[in-house]
Amino acid sequence: MNRTLLIGIDGATFSILDPLVQRGIMPFFAEFMAKGMRAELLSTPNPLTPPAWTSLVTGRTPGNHGIFDFLSPKETDNGIYMQLMSARDVQCETIWALVSRFGGRVAALNFPLTYPIQSVSGYVVPGLIPLRHLRRAIRPAGWYERLASLPGVDVRELAMDLDREKGGIQGLPSEEYGDWIRLHIRRERQWFEVLRSIMRTDPCDLTAVLFDGPDKIQHLAWRFVDPAYFPQSPTAWECEIRGLCFDYFRALDGYIEETVAMAGPDCHVFITSDHGFGASVEVFYLNVWLQQHGYLQWGDSARPDTEEGIFARRMKTQYGLLDWTRTVAYALTPSSNGIYIRVAQRPGQPGIPPEAYESFRTELVNKLLAFTDPESGEPVVKRVMTREKAFPGNHMHKAPDLTLVLRDHGFVSVLNAEAPLKRRSEPKGMHRPEGIFLAAGPGIKQNMSIPALSIIDVTPALLYSLGLPIPSDFEGRFPAETFADSFLWAFPPFYGEATKPIRSGFAPELSRTPVMEPEQEEAVLSRLRALGYVE
Amino acid sequence: MERDAILRDVVNILYDMIGDWETDYQGQIGPETTLIGDLTFESIDIVQLGASLEEHFRQEGLPFEKLLLVDGRYVDDLRVDQIVAFLDEYARP
Repeated sequence: MNRTLLIGIDGATFSILDPLVQRGIMPFFAEFMAKGMRAELLSTPNPLTPPAWTSLVTGRTPGNHGIFDFLSPKETDNGIYMQLMSARDVQCETIWALVSRFGGRVAALNFPLTYPIQSVSGYVVPGLIPLRHLRRAIRPAGWYERLASLPGVDVRELAMDLDREKGGIQGLPSEEYGDWIRLHIRRERQWFEVLRSIMRTDPCDLTAVLFDGPDKIQHLAWRFVDPAYFPQSPTAWECEIRGLCFDYFRALDGYIEETVAMAGPDCHVFITSDHGFGASVEVFYLNVWLQQHGYLQWGDSARPDTEEGIFARRMKTQYGLLDWTRTVAYALTPSSNGIYIRVAQRPGQPGIPPEAYESFRTELVNKLLAFTDPESGEPVVKRVMTREKAFPGNHMHKAPDLTLVLRDHGFVSVLNAEAPLKRRSEPKGMHRPEGIFLAAGPGIKQNMSIPALSIIDVTPALLYSLGLPIPSDFEGRFPAETFADSFLWAFPPFYGEATKPIRSGFAPELSRTPVMEPEQEEAVLSRLRALGYVE
Repeated sequence: MERDAILRDVVNILYDMIGDWETDYQGQIGPETTLIGDLTFESIDIVQLGASLEEHFRQEGLPFEKLLLVDGRYVDDLRVDQIVAFLDEYARP
């Protein structure tokens, strides 16, 4: 298998990276772009970390891999049960499992939904895992002690702190901005140390790391990183925070430079994000809008928000926001930007009758699109996607019935408020569909920019780089335009059987699959001989 | 599996989970021990416990909502013996 390096940068966007490169803050990125190629990378229909990274590592769309959000509601006889998504909910084979099945080894660091990990040969340090569970989540079992002993690694910072994360998205007091950014500089250093330890002592066929600082910093500090929002006459504090943001990106650039150097010149390197980023300037309180139209009733704990909040701090509080006995349509989380419609399975159950579903949903779509900003008269909801449109596939039924795209691409708020629309006092960073794709290495075109790729096109590129067959059920296309024609002729992509179905979440034995049929292998060898690569 | 065996397994799983947590809990874990009140569980810890129980009892998709949702509301806390009774009913091979 050919060594391949995947560097994930959560939330990276060219609108921020390009100015940083031009300012000389990211010199390695400048060099990497010059010796490789770049494209915008279009995210999943709802550009969000869990579905987007899952699409990138499965080559499948959310309707097929079954991940739409961090949480999923389950209608039960007792009420709505909110399930936190885990690796068990990923309904398609991941690249980690696939490489392992072909006899390769992987290192997957900080990717979401990699716990509980199954059928993987190599190293997995899952992302989004609280400290209390990190030890048991790491593979190989027992490697936690080695990780915790690495120089500079503080597992308390490496692990997810849910309260800390929520603060970063909802907003922090100004005196905490600096600490937040410094924390992420340290965290990236620590992920780099973990990565370096594996690459030096036990290199794997596929090495992948996710640096998630850009997402965390841009949510909170967008106005400091986007030149369009930075004030003409900044205060000393604003200059300090912008300087810290620059320090973060400078450090990230350095860690990536060292990682790529360790990988060596023969390694294909792919740098991708899961989604892009941009400014959100208002809060759309979707559940307020639903309540005003008679689809939802607030529960006892739903006091009006006064702080531009978008979710409750505790899951139980979130659940208590609504009177579930009198609610037929609701937004569960800001991150899904979705509306779930309750369909009564029998008389007396909350929800609309099954036969009214289509007309009810159409009515909702029409009313949402007609909602306008009272000040400007402009529509607030840019687009509403049905789940058939946004998430076709075997697991579409788990998706929100409707997914909204707001005019500023913000997350909706699920909280109560005085009015459905509120202008933010200052812009916050929120997700955009346009992320980044960069690649460099043997046979990859140099200093080239190509039209946008889809996030599900990355997976075939990774498998091609590894020298593995591209499964027939992948939904993306192999981005051949990334590679030079002569390289493609010498190493033509080849396609193989569909990925293995997920039968059970419990660790099945790894079964090995040969990479190529003998006749395919001979054909490739003859091309390589013709080019003098092998004798 | 007998209830006593389920209780033993649940207690062992809980000891394993909280082994390196920073909690002030000094007592033994038994049927009356509460997850939130005694062991300082948070909601995400309950989710992780669910995954551990499914793994241990080799039962995917256990209906945890029957344990955690009562009359349309999330419970305030859970005792170990409630978990044992739930597993006795739903996790039988």
